[in-house]
Amino acid sequence: MVGVRANKAHRDERFALIVLVTCSGIFVVAIALILGFLAFSGTRLFFHDHVSPFEFLFSTNWDGLGGHFGAAPFIVGSLIATGFAILVGGPLGVAIGVFFSELAPKRVADAMKPAIEVLVGIPSVVYGWLGLTVLVPLIGSIFHTGGDGLLAAGIVLSIMILPTVISLSEDALRVVPDSMREGSAALGATRWETISRVLVPSAKSGLAVAVILGIARAIGETLAVQLVLGNAPVFVTSLLRPASALTSEIVMDMGDAPDGTAFQHALFSMAFLLLLIAMGLILLIRFALRKRT
Amino acid sequence: MAQAVARVASSDTLASNNARSRRIVDRIATGSLWTAAGSVVALLVIFIGYLFYKGASVISWHFLFGYPSSANAGGGIGPEIFNSFYILILTLVFTLPIAVCAGMYLQEYAGPGRFRDLVQFSAESLATVPSIVMGLFGLLIFVQMFHWHFTALGGALTLTLLNLPAMMRVTQEALAGVPGTYREASMSLGATRWQTVVKVILPSAIGPLITGVVLVSGRIFGETAALIYTAGASVSFGKSAYDFNPFHTAETLAVHLYSTHREALVPDADAIGNGSALVLLVMVLLFNVVARVVGRQLTIRFTGKAS
Repeated sequence: MVGVRANKAHRDERFALIVLVTCSGIFVVAIALILGFLAFSGTRLFFHDHVSPFEFLFSTNWDGLGGHFGAAPFIVGSLIATGFAILVGGPLGVAIGVFFSELAPKRVADAMKPAIEVLVGIPSVVYGWLGLTVLVPLIGSIFHTGGDGLLAAGIVLSIMILPTVISLSEDALRVVPDSMREGSAALGATRWETISRVLVPSAKSGLAVAVILGIARAIGETLAVQLVLGNAPVFVTSLLRPASALTSEIVMDMGDAPDGTAFQHALFSMAFLLLLIAMGLILLIRFALRKRT
Repeated sequence: MAQAVARVASSDTLASNNARSRRIVDRIATGSLWTAAGSVVALLVIFIGYLFYKGASVISWHFLFGYPSSANAGGGIGPEIFNSFYILILTLVFTLPIAVCAGMYLQEYAGPGRFRDLVQFSAESLATVPSIVMGLFGLLIFVQMFHWHFTALGGALTLTLLNLPAMMRVTQEALAGVPGTYREASMSLGATRWQTVVKVILPSAIGPLITGVVLVSGRIFGETAALIYTAGASVSFGKSAYDFNPFHTAETLAVHLYSTHREALVPDADAIGNGSALVLLVMVLLFNVVARVVGRQLTIRFTGKAS
């Protein structure tokens, strides 16, 4: 009897292993399919419609229905909005990560953590709605403009990347051994000197990862940006004028672009470009972490 | 690492004897960090306060359960709320088994090796695919290739791809919290690895696992960009807008907030936006509270200790 049961357990074990490996394999297949399909659809514009990649990347003339596919205004728009978010949200997020890891009394941290989790949970379209109904009129009344544009998008993105940057920088600082803090304090350093000269330099690769994932979140953000950008497909001349980004232009135009046309292929090219940027950032993170070990 | 400490020792600020200015700098830095952290909480309080202030007057029985209107004022968001939950549940049906199994494999079975690295790398890559890009992939596969048109099922499958990595991570973290002695004790009693995972480890990890699952569910509930071109931006035109057919179009509440503003065909688009934004926010708050409460209860029931 024991033998029969042991046999069954052995069979279950093998069956379970097959199921678990299959489920893990789905991840590999999924990303391979996404890369494959978007690489194919994203390059149709060049191979099927014979639009030159240089025109796509560097021309500022965009007229989807009229056959002009210069995506430079959107690429630059995405980069400026993301750059703004990193310059503002990056240091702020790292600072708050430092606060949680080094300063916050446990009671304060326990009270504030749920707030950060709620910030993560708020849908991007709600951030966009807040930006549209609060921030855009505010900017408009300060600068006497319409209020929508890259400044509004940059501010919204700065707030949206905060939770990512905060929690990852906190993790990065927590893995620095306490002996470093004690050693620094024993040498007579103040807490700020310990933070700025010992902890932050020691955790720099982890902090870099936090900021890179912030970039990844910002560059792929769609609706929060679309709602406050004003969506003018023109090359950016001012942070205060309506502009467009890769994500917002895709979501604006996809409904109007008929299947199989060069117009739709151009939108897929933009999506493929976003995917390549995201994959590039992942490789960058791998590189940052490998250097540490 | 020791270099960093040496840097402190050799720094000229420390060598010179201006202890007072160093203390002042420390105070200023400490104050700034407190201010930075406080400002984020203040920001959240302002968000919540503003959304309640603007949205509360819109909320009514009719708004929450009524049908949306295509041209006149007074449209509701009933079918949209239904669709959000419907697509969430469909998504969980696909996501949970796959992600939990993959998480169990990586955490409990896989030794270091190529396959584990490959799965890990795939999950990280999948996690950074922007939502709109995933939406276009869903459009390519489910709408254009399978000819489903905009469907709840297509939307759910797209969200599955988007959320597999987060669910897997949640599983891994929950399992990692179970002490190694549990595994050793179970296996020394003659249990196989699978029996150990299912009967010992999973029940011990159930609290944090459910907490994580509910938090990710909150994010699925509010997902927008991936759904516009997969599940569509209009409610079902079937017999009722409350439609269980997974092959019918299904606009969720988050998509509705976007499309109402973009099309702005109804005169009260702003009011509907404010009301929808408030409902979305309240749902996020609810998911957060439920995650904590249920997670704690399950931990107490399955492990007998409060954590």
